[in-house]
Parts: sequence; structure tokens; C-alpha cells
Amino acid sequence: MEIVSELSLQEKLHILADAAKYDVACTSSGVDRKGKQGYLGNSAAAGICHSFSSDGRCISLLKILFTNHCEYDCKYCQNRASNDVARAAFTPREVCELTIEFYKRNYIEGLFLSSGVWKNPAYTMERICETLFLLRGEYRFNGYIHVKAIPGAPDDLLAAAGYLADRMSVNLELPTEEGMRRLTPNKNHRMILQPMRKTAQTIAEHRLAIGKDALLERSAGSRYLADSIFSGRQIETRGSAQRTEPGGPGTAALGMSDAGTAGLATISSGMKKRAAFHEMDMPADGVYGLPAALRRRDLHRPFVPAGQSTQMIIGATPETDYHLLKTTQHLYQDYDLKRVFFSAYVPLNEDAALPSPDTPVPLLREHRLYQADWLLRFYGFRADELLSEERPNFHEQLDPKCDWALRHLELFPVEVNRADYAMILRVPGVGPKSAMRIVQARRHGTLDFEHLKKMGVVLKRAHYFITCSGKMMYRTPVEEGYITRQLIGMDERQNWQIAHRDGGKYRQMSLFADFGIHT
Amino acid sequence: MTVFTCKESFEAMMTCIYEAWHSKLGHENIRLQLEPVEQEELFCDYVSVQADAGKARKVTDAICRKISGEAYRQVFLAAMSFQEERLDAVYRFLVLGFSVGRRLTDMLFRPEVAWILELSRKSANEASYFREFTRFSLAGSVYVAHIEPKCNVTAISAAHFADRMPSEYWILIDDNRMIAAVHPKDRPFYMTELSREEFAALQRTEERQDGYTELWREFFRSITIDARKNEKCQRGHMPLWYRRHAVEFQ
Repeated sequence: MEIVSELSLQEKLHILADAAKYDVACTSSGVDRKGKQGYLGNSAAAGICHSFSSDGRCISLLKILFTNHCEYDCKYCQNRASNDVARAAFTPREVCELTIEFYKRNYIEGLFLSSGVWKNPAYTMERICETLFLLRGEYRFNGYIHVKAIPGAPDDLLAAAGYLADRMSVNLELPTEEGMRRLTPNKNHRMILQPMRKTAQTIAEHRLAIGKDALLERSAGSRYLADSIFSGRQIETRGSAQRTEPGGPGTAALGMSDAGTAGLATISSGMKKRAAFHEMDMPADGVYGLPAALRRRDLHRPFVPAGQSTQMIIGATPETDYHLLKTTQHLYQDYDLKRVFFSAYVPLNEDAALPSPDTPVPLLREHRLYQADWLLRFYGFRADELLSEERPNFHEQLDPKCDWALRHLELFPVEVNRADYAMILRVPGVGPKSAMRIVQARRHGTLDFEHLKKMGVVLKRAHYFITCSGKMMYRTPVEEGYITRQLIGMDERQNWQIAHRDGGKYRQMSLFADFGIHT
Repeated sequence: MTVFTCKESFEAMMTCIYEAWHSKLGHENIRLQLEPVEQEELFCDYVSVQADAGKARKVTDAICRKISGEAYRQVFLAAMSFQEERLDAVYRFLVLGFSVGRRLTDMLFRPEVAWILELSRKSANEASYFREFTRFSLAGSVYVAHIEPKCNVTAISAAHFADRMPSEYWILIDDNRMIAAVHPKDRPFYMTELSREEFAALQRTEERQDGYTELWREFFRSITIDARKNEKCQRGHMPLWYRRHAVEFQ
């Protein structure tokens, strides 16, 4: 269908929300901002969900595309240029009105604005900036904004977007260069990693300028974790020492590089090498048709205060979980991303380069990756502890934490009244909150299992791995086979349900087929 | 056994704690209970305590000064929960607190402390639910929302909305307790009890819907990925009773 001019707002919303739904990031977290008189909105660092759609995913932001017109032809995407779908585009004012009115009714926490590549990346990014500028300026919106950086857009437009939004993201989509070559003919790794690198540097510089640490804050407990992926990192800013190794250790092995210092000058002609965003002057009036106010370097707003995120598609290309998790860790360490999201591949298009259309959605795999992602960010685990070249994929029936514990039974059982925070946190069934409660409470008295239960420890999981004052809860052998069987039996139902979320595929048991009775 | 009773307001509860403490009857000889008292027990004296701002203030100041701000936060939240015995639970918590001081909230191996933590978590969780699932509708130039929380979280939620929408007129109504947080434009919000007539008039605001309600429903439908449909997961995150006033489910 070609450009339809007279679509109603409702029809547009239908088309452009439907087109945006495969983007998974719907979080409104990462920044605490108080409300202001005369403005609308505030922001809570923990993020606030406002509803849950019937696929069980949270709805926090008004997640829409500015337009689903797209010049690119990424094979997996519903909006690819060669697909025959209804196309529409909002006007900046329509996006603003929707955001403001939804926000006042407490339907949403803010705006998530992405877009197909309309005409060219610069034109698209310009429309996005125009919208955000209107929303922050004229509409006095002070709530959360998550904006997509369109790969290939000029740096100054990306910079402008960064000052107006709270979070910026560029989707990596596929973790390997090879996968991208096959599935995204118009994009390559460098196009994505370069803006990501520049955004990371600009964030770091802005944070230093206002007296914060260059790196984003991580979970409260992580300062007690000496070996977490976040300890001992550095991010390069202008004026800091030369980076030791471009891309950090292991980058080359992952095939990920944003080309470091070399090569950049040729891409952004006329611009200084590795210039961070804030060094640039905003474009003059008329170049992109942006309002003059946007040219001012300091818009009295911090630059991307909630950090960057990205997402990867799971199951469209043959990467292993190990590779994905290593990539994730690398993105956290080297680009200081706030979040990495995973999106189970949903077959939408038929193409020789894609898995067949009846491929089941790898929901359990996605679930395991998220579990592991949490272990990296909150529990002090590293990718290499959870998986390896020899064991490149997650256990189907055990979550990554239990799996790790069972392979390291020599460390268990742990005495809760003495073990350090980092070790208690590694016990299955104990989370950062309950671990912190344990170390605080035990200073004033001795803990037993009844107390742990009150503190929120999941004893049905934890009791295999802990002692209180030298005693285990039941007489259980600390023996791998036994505990594995117990834990798997407990999780079986839940795992089955995650793997078969599509529902309705229950089958009536048949005497003839299932028990081999033939008439 | 002497039983001190009071109304459900926070001020009354704090006054009740003040009177109970100063009765000097011995902690084991008294009990605190919320009104209405369904059935009086034999061999018990019942003393009804009226709210007194000065006395309540003394108690809250003492909690902050002699125990900690965190303890006060937990006491307030626990007092807003819907557990019948919450007043006595708070009293026992404070009896321990005034003897141990700052360490109180860390002493989770004491049943008094664990109990208050549990109650305060209940209230805090519910307050955050209503931050999420409250829906305002436009009635004239005022945004009105109805909620039916189990815990008394209207004031806590209203503080959140006051920061968020400082320059709008809005009213947040607890349909069950018939109380409301009223927020005039650019001014602080206040809590008020609604008369029957006021309540009846405000009751009808939910029937009004404008174009944005329908647009929101459209968005809600369009954002679902059918290949991942999972209503059980949805119910886990958003239990049915929270959906009563959420327009996208109507």
C-alpha cells in the first residue's frame, strides 16, 4: 500500500504501535527527576509500569514509530522496504498530543520514539528531534523519553536527541558482523557501534563535568562485589590516558569493533577524530530546519541521563548463548550500557536467509539469557563462569544460577551466619535484597531458617546450599545428582510453560498412541 | 487487661500509643486495638482514645529521634496496611525500638520487627501498584481517578502524583474509605473525607470517556505480540482486582 494521506489518528496509532511492538525495551528506569511547577511529569529511577499487555509484557512507555516507511530492507523486519504493509507517519504534533494526554491520564510513563528510515537517516532523525524539541519545549513535558538513534544519522542530530531524551538506544540486532551481512544489507556493525561509542563518551564527559563518576551507577550491592563485571573498568574520555587495547579484551574474538580511532575520520568527514558529541556546534538554521534554540550547546539538560541500551535478536542467526552473553558483558564493560535486551525471534517474513516461518519462538532461551543478564548486573557473575566454549548453551531445565551452583558444590553449603555478602548472593534462592538483610541482621543475632524465610529467602531452592549455625534444614546429601533431580522436578512445570507460552497446544492423552496399544 | 482503642487515622493511632505508654500499666497488661470493637471481651477495660495532634507529634518525633527515620517510615506504612492487629504490632515494635535504638530495623530475627517489615512491605507494594494502575479521566477541567486499595495508600499515591502533575487540577478518590486527595493547580494537595452527596456526584466521572480513552485502548491492543500471548503471565503482573478501574480492560 502506498502513502495513504487521510488516515485517522486512531488508524495511524494502530499501524505505528503495531510496527513498534517488536522493540522490547519498554523500561522507564535509570533516572530520578523531580517534577517542576508549570511542567508535566517526573521520573523514578526504578521505572514504573502502567499496564501489561496480553503477552505478559509491561507497558510503560507510549512505544511507537514515527513512521514505518523504511528505505532499508532488513530481512527479519516487518517494516522492510520490500514488504507490502500499510504505511503511515505521525506529525510531530500528533506524537506530542498523544504523549501529553496519555500521560495526564496516567496511562504511560513517557514516550518511546523509534522510526523506520524515511528518505534517509538524516531526514528521519531530524523529524525525531523536531518532535522531541516540541514536546520538551512548547508542551513542557518533563517525563521520560527513550529515543532511538537512527544509524547513519549525522552526529549533531544524534547529539540534539541525546540532550532532549533520557535514554538513547541503537539496536545491535545481530551480535556478529557475519549475521548482519546476511540479514541487514543496509547496515553494518560499525554504523551501530560508532554512535554507541560516541554516546558513551559524551555521557561520561557530562557526568564528570557535574562531579559524578564517569561510569553509570550500578546496583547498590555491587560495591561489595570485588569481581563483578563492573569493577575496575574505565571509560575513555578526551584527555584521559590512551586506551590500552581498542575495544577492550576479547573484542576481536567477538568480531566486535567500532574501528577504534582509525577509520573514523573518513566516515565523518570534516569532523574531528573521535569527537564527543558535545564538542560539536549544533547545525545552523536551515541545514536541518531545526529551531535555533537547539543550536545552543547546553540545553540545560543532562546528556542521556538514563544511559544507553540496545537489543539483540535471539534465534535468527546461529550464535550460541555463550557468544551472546560474552557480547552482552562486553557491551556493559566497554560501552557502559545500562541495559542489553534480548528479543526472541518471531518469524514474520519468508526468506531463504531466515529460519523457516514455523520456527517456534525461542522463549525459554530468551528467558535464560535474561536470567544470566541479571546475574551479570546484580550478582557479580561473569559470562565465563556461567558458560564456556565447551558448554556454550544454557541448561534447559535449570536456571543459570542453580546450574552454576551445582557445578561448584565444593563451595557449598555456605554458613549464612559467617559467609561474606558476595558468597551469600551466589546461593540459589537468595537475591540482593535478602542477602543485604542477612548481613545486616546477623550483626545483632544468630539467624536460623525461620528468620531467613521472613527475610524473603526462597528456602525451597536455598536449603540445599546453606547451613544455619552448622546445620542444614533437612538431612540432604550435598550431592550433584540428587540436588539436580530435586531442583529440576521443582522447575519442570514452569519451564514447560515458558517454552510453550503460545498456549492451547495441550493434547489429549491417547491410550493408543501414547501407550503403544494397537487395535 | 486494659485495651486502648482508637479510630483508623494515623494521628489517632499515634495518640493511642502515647496514652498506652503513659498509662504505666506495664506493656504486658495492655493491648491496643482499632475501632470499631466488634465484641468486647470479659475482664477487659476499654479506653477509647481521641486523636490529639500534639501527642501524636511527640510520638512521631520520638521515633525519628530515638530510633530512626527508617523505623518511622515502616511504622507509617504498617499503620496504613489493612491488617486488623496492626496497631498492636506497631506498639510492640516501638517497645523494642525504644530500648534498642537505631539497630531496631536490622533485627529481623525478632518477630516484632519481621512483622512490621512484612506489613510495611504490603503497604509499600500496594502504593506502588496504584502509582501504576490508577487511571484519571477528564471531568470538565479536573482529572479524577477512583481507586479501591486494600491498604490506605491514597495519601502515599497522591504525593507521587503531586510531584508529577503540579500544575493540574486533580482528585484521587478512595471509593471504599470515601476519602479523597484533592490537588488544586500549583498548590499542595490535601486529604478530605467525602460526604455522601459529593461522593455520588464524583462517582459518575468514570462514565465519561473521551477520544483519548479509545486511542489508549487501540494502543493497548496493537502492542501485543500474538505469537507470545500469555495471559497467565499478564495476570501474575496485573491481578484482576487491580484492573477494575483500568480503562483498557473495560
